[in-house]
Amino acid sequence: MAQSRLEKIGTIFTRVQGLLRGGAMKTEDKPIWYDVYAAFPPKLEPRFDRPAPEIPVRNIFYAEDVVRAKLHKQNKPQETISLFDHRRSTQSQQFVQIYQDLKAQGALDEQRIYETALDLLAEQRQQSRLEASTEDSLPEQDAESKTQLLSDFKEAVESQQTKSPSSPAPPKVKKDAGVGINIDSLFKD
Amino acid sequence: MLRKSLTSLPRFGQMCGLPRRLQSTQPEQSAETEPEDIALVEQRILKHPDYFQVHNLFTVRDLFNARVHYGHKEGSLDDRMRPYLFGSRLGHLIFDLDKTASHLRDALNFTAHIAFRDGIILFFNRNAMNSHLVEQKAQEAGEFSHTRFWRGGIFTNANVQFDAVTRLPDLCIFLNTQNNVMSQHTAVRDAAKMAIPTIGIVDSNCNPNLITYPVPGNDDSPAAVELYCNLFKEAILRGKRERRQILGLPPLDETQPRRSRKQKQ
Repeated sequence: MAQSRLEKIGTIFTRVQGLLRGGAMKTEDKPIWYDVYAAFPPKLEPRFDRPAPEIPVRNIFYAEDVVRAKLHKQNKPQETISLFDHRRSTQSQQFVQIYQDLKAQGALDEQRIYETALDLLAEQRQQSRLEASTEDSLPEQDAESKTQLLSDFKEAVESQQTKSPSSPAPPKVKKDAGVGINIDSLFKD
Repeated sequence: MLRKSLTSLPRFGQMCGLPRRLQSTQPEQSAETEPEDIALVEQRILKHPDYFQVHNLFTVRDLFNARVHYGHKEGSLDDRMRPYLFGSRLGHLIFDLDKTASHLRDALNFTAHIAFRDGIILFFNRNAMNSHLVEQKAQEAGEFSHTRFWRGGIFTNANVQFDAVTRLPDLCIFLNTQNNVMSQHTAVRDAAKMAIPTIGIVDSNCNPNLITYPVPGNDDSPAAVELYCNLFKEAILRGKRERRQILGLPPLDETQPRRSRKQKQ
């Protein structure tokens, strides 16, 4: 097949177009993507030497970043965050929410808002902790199921032990252990 | 004169009848005649801006949830990726998902058209963590994948390497375009040499120039790669289903991930 392998000149489309126009490639040999490309050309020509545009990368900042930075500077974050948990908001998010609510009410200066927001956040956390402790009455069932599982395993082990004398498993185990000891002694030498 | 007008009457009737047949809806037409010539259909569907309805495959929210917007850090930015960026959040680059979405839709549309034209599609990925996923999805779509070390000349010297005249793929989809963090995948260059169009997920440290349809986005997270794989798979299957329907073949058995190029005709 006629081909131009100079990938640094033009694009794949212009190269095939040139071959078709010049008759080096027959119309029936046209690649199947040619018409699709002609109908839906890419947004930018895929040229090897397309120059890089000089667009500055802007910084992404939000208005609440000022107070968030202050919070993180003055308080060490102590919570663990699950990145898969989209429902629960982090302490920092809760703080910003409280801060913005207070600010919307007005009346206080920034430092006072910051301090009261911290107090409110601590209060909120204590409350949620209390709620969590009252909800802890449920795990008893889990404990039961756990003990069930444990007892199941114990039963299984016991039944195996009772069966084991009739089966030829124990001697094998002993042999294996013997081999292991040999290897150890080899290493010691 | 009267005779003449009488003889011209049926012709006139035919002329009236002709536009009616043209206006009739498609299912009726296919019921009347044998399946349309596939080449004509291929030309006709190109006039439709989004024949395979790929725009409804995903939303920008889906992209966000799959963590497509995360780029690398500022230091590794390739200048050619600047137009696709939204900005930099404390040193981490963030992609503009609106731009990503429109590029991805173009890419999916192109994929569906190539699949409709019975093209061979080859998936690439050089990330060990995602390679099994990519291979699996490619197989489910009935297409091919190459996720290992690229021996030079697989495209450019195929007839010698495989000892036979080889049909090269009609479309290469790169789920990441880098071999490692330093060098570009050789197949990107080789595909351009062999005039094979490419679709590539380009992260903020990649070069989008040689990729025919670049899609700016995160190419490292498994969640993002899974989303891309599912989207391309669905686009391919849409193209194939449509083709089989128009050709009057039995529908694709999607429970059996095998590619059969034999057509029962």
